[in-house]
Amino acid sequence: MNKKTSIFGGVTIIALALMVLMPILLPSVTLATEILIFALAALACNLLLGYTGLLSFGQGIFFGGGAYSASLVMLHLNFGLISALITAILVGALLALIVGALAIRRTGIYFVMLTLSFSQMAYFLAYTFSDWTGGDNGLLDVPRPALTLFGMTISDLQSSEAFYIFVAAVFAIVFVFSRRVIHSPFGTTLVAIRENEGRSSAVGFSTNHFKLVAFVISGAITGLAGALYAMLLNFAPLSNVELLMSENILIMTIIGGTSSLIGSILGAGSIVLMGDLLSSIWPRWMMILGAVLIAVVLFLPGGLWGGILSLTSKFPWKKVKTNVTSEVTK
Amino acid sequence: MIKKYLKNTALVFSIAAASCVVMAQEEAVTIYGVKSLSGSFASYGKYADMGSKLAVEQYGQVLGKTPSYMSIDTEGNAGKALRKVQEAINQNSAKFFNGGTLSSTSLAIGKEINKSGGVFITPAGADELTGVDCNTSTFRWSVPTYGAIRETVVPLLKEHPEKKRWYTITPQYVFGEALLSNAKAVFDELGIEHVGNSYHSLQEQEFSGYVTNAMAAKPDVLLLLNFGSQSSNALRQAINFGLKNQMTILVTWSSGLEQFQELGADITENVYFGAQYWHTVDTPLNNKLVKEVKDTYGITPNYPLAADYISTKLLLDAIVEAGTTTPSDVIKVLEGKSYEGPTGTEIVRAADHQVLKNYYLLKGKSPSEMKNADDFAEIVSYGKSFPDESSLECKGM
Repeated sequence: MNKKTSIFGGVTIIALALMVLMPILLPSVTLATEILIFALAALACNLLLGYTGLLSFGQGIFFGGGAYSASLVMLHLNFGLISALITAILVGALLALIVGALAIRRTGIYFVMLTLSFSQMAYFLAYTFSDWTGGDNGLLDVPRPALTLFGMTISDLQSSEAFYIFVAAVFAIVFVFSRRVIHSPFGTTLVAIRENEGRSSAVGFSTNHFKLVAFVISGAITGLAGALYAMLLNFAPLSNVELLMSENILIMTIIGGTSSLIGSILGAGSIVLMGDLLSSIWPRWMMILGAVLIAVVLFLPGGLWGGILSLTSKFPWKKVKTNVTSEVTK
Repeated sequence: MIKKYLKNTALVFSIAAASCVVMAQEEAVTIYGVKSLSGSFASYGKYADMGSKLAVEQYGQVLGKTPSYMSIDTEGNAGKALRKVQEAINQNSAKFFNGGTLSSTSLAIGKEINKSGGVFITPAGADELTGVDCNTSTFRWSVPTYGAIRETVVPLLKEHPEKKRWYTITPQYVFGEALLSNAKAVFDELGIEHVGNSYHSLQEQEFSGYVTNAMAAKPDVLLLLNFGSQSSNALRQAINFGLKNQMTILVTWSSGLEQFQELGADITENVYFGAQYWHTVDTPLNNKLVKEVKDTYGITPNYPLAADYISTKLLLDAIVEAGTTTPSDVIKVLEGKSYEGPTGTEIVRAADHQVLKNYYLLKGKSPSEMKNADDFAEIVSYGKSFPDESSLECKGM
């Protein structure tokens, strides 16, 4: 596979096509924006779960941290759009560095329990420091600043269409960046660690350092997603840091397909859409979500994207298959 | 010839303009009900939705057209609610909203609706709605924490003047703190000794530790300042520990009939409850509501049903009175409006958009005293207590 195919071709083109089609096919542009924001969070989770093998219940910490930090610097320090997003990225990365540095000292179930504990701790911190976070009422009046570059206003981003285009642009940049990461020697080392940490360590890799860097990248992207979500809603609810948020991000990742960045869009899309469509039909729609999750884990180990690939493999367009199957790393 | 042509053209334009005016006048009103129809608060949202639907279905014509109703499911999540409200505003030009039970949801969507210049009536509990975060679009039907405390603690002390030692169990978040600070103010005024308080978190469901702390303090009254399932669990556990025989228990902010049904008369017997609404209140509108709900749904109306029924009806009344669907005109009609509500004459205070209405102190009946399956409590007292206009925190009008 050449670099062009792995980064700008193949699934990148499919991701771009989905970004163009979503606002046209979905009932609303804000719904499409929410899907892309959660796709960002799922993509970041995928870097940990799919490529490094780390099942983290701490993603809500970074999502909420990004949302709160961006909101606070915009509200109290009058930060603009880009500087607020950079703050969210840095805060997400910093939080991931702290959580990751402690959690990766343990593996397996102990690692999972540590991320769960951090998640609960973050929730109670946000809940306790209500003067800063708004507590259970959430942080209100979060602005959505205009996009300015070199002092020139490109767009005020007030219309849902303009904000969607901005979020889509951010998603495209992060998607290409993530593709670059997973196809770099660093990314292949992460996969090696996932496959056999002991052997990776034996051949000389400092596996903990690699896992920590993966954690930091994941935290930074999740923080960015949290900030975009706060800007979309003009509001940072406490539910951003709830354990349920971490669970939702994980479920999106698993349903979309671990080890598949494009699966993040499918996972986020299916969960957000299922919520919208099924909740109006049946109040206990979460049971359907549970059934879908069980079905995906049992019958579609590659998630929805893996399922699509197995379907397409039965048809004659082999070229497409060879271009995109590399996305799902066995 | 030219004159005739101009005359005809003018006539055609006049007819077209007149038709446009008529069409504008005939724009059907849609009420958007923001309810938690799924998720953790689905049982509450179901009744709230029934109340709004009933109000719209039974209203008849509004500005010459039949009004319609659309539910927006919050999924019990403020973020989801806000996004769906944004969609309704952007896609359907939605103007009139009610519901939003959770405080966080109501505060956030109230701001969003205000940005778009709509109208929103909510029964949510957060005092900020008519306090620091008030705005021109948001109206609140429920009595604030100030009134809930005054209309329960004061009459209970009147009934039992000897009970001067009180213990509180408080959820440590904005709503709980507001109830506690109001309770402390009343304690100071009435010379009540506050012998202790236990804080618990928003997610707490195990209260035995707090109950034993209360027992150890030997109070005359245990005042529960939590809400919903937390107050039910705290009460259940307090009764399991035998506290009902040792002290009087008051649940200041109950969710009404639904909570009584969930707990059962064995638990609620002789326990005092504060309530925004009770189905036996003898007012013309409440008698009509009880009958309509029984005829339509075969049940007795509870608090969410009544609150969302009257919020929706109030909104429709204001539109009819304004004679237009322009939200600013509807807001003007609502400000200072006096109307017959389920709790009697209710007034919308213009200064903070708070509805001034009665709050009730109930006392649980024993199973043998109940005349029917829903006759769980007697009304001990009721009244209106609201902060003076001079002390309002609302500056956004």
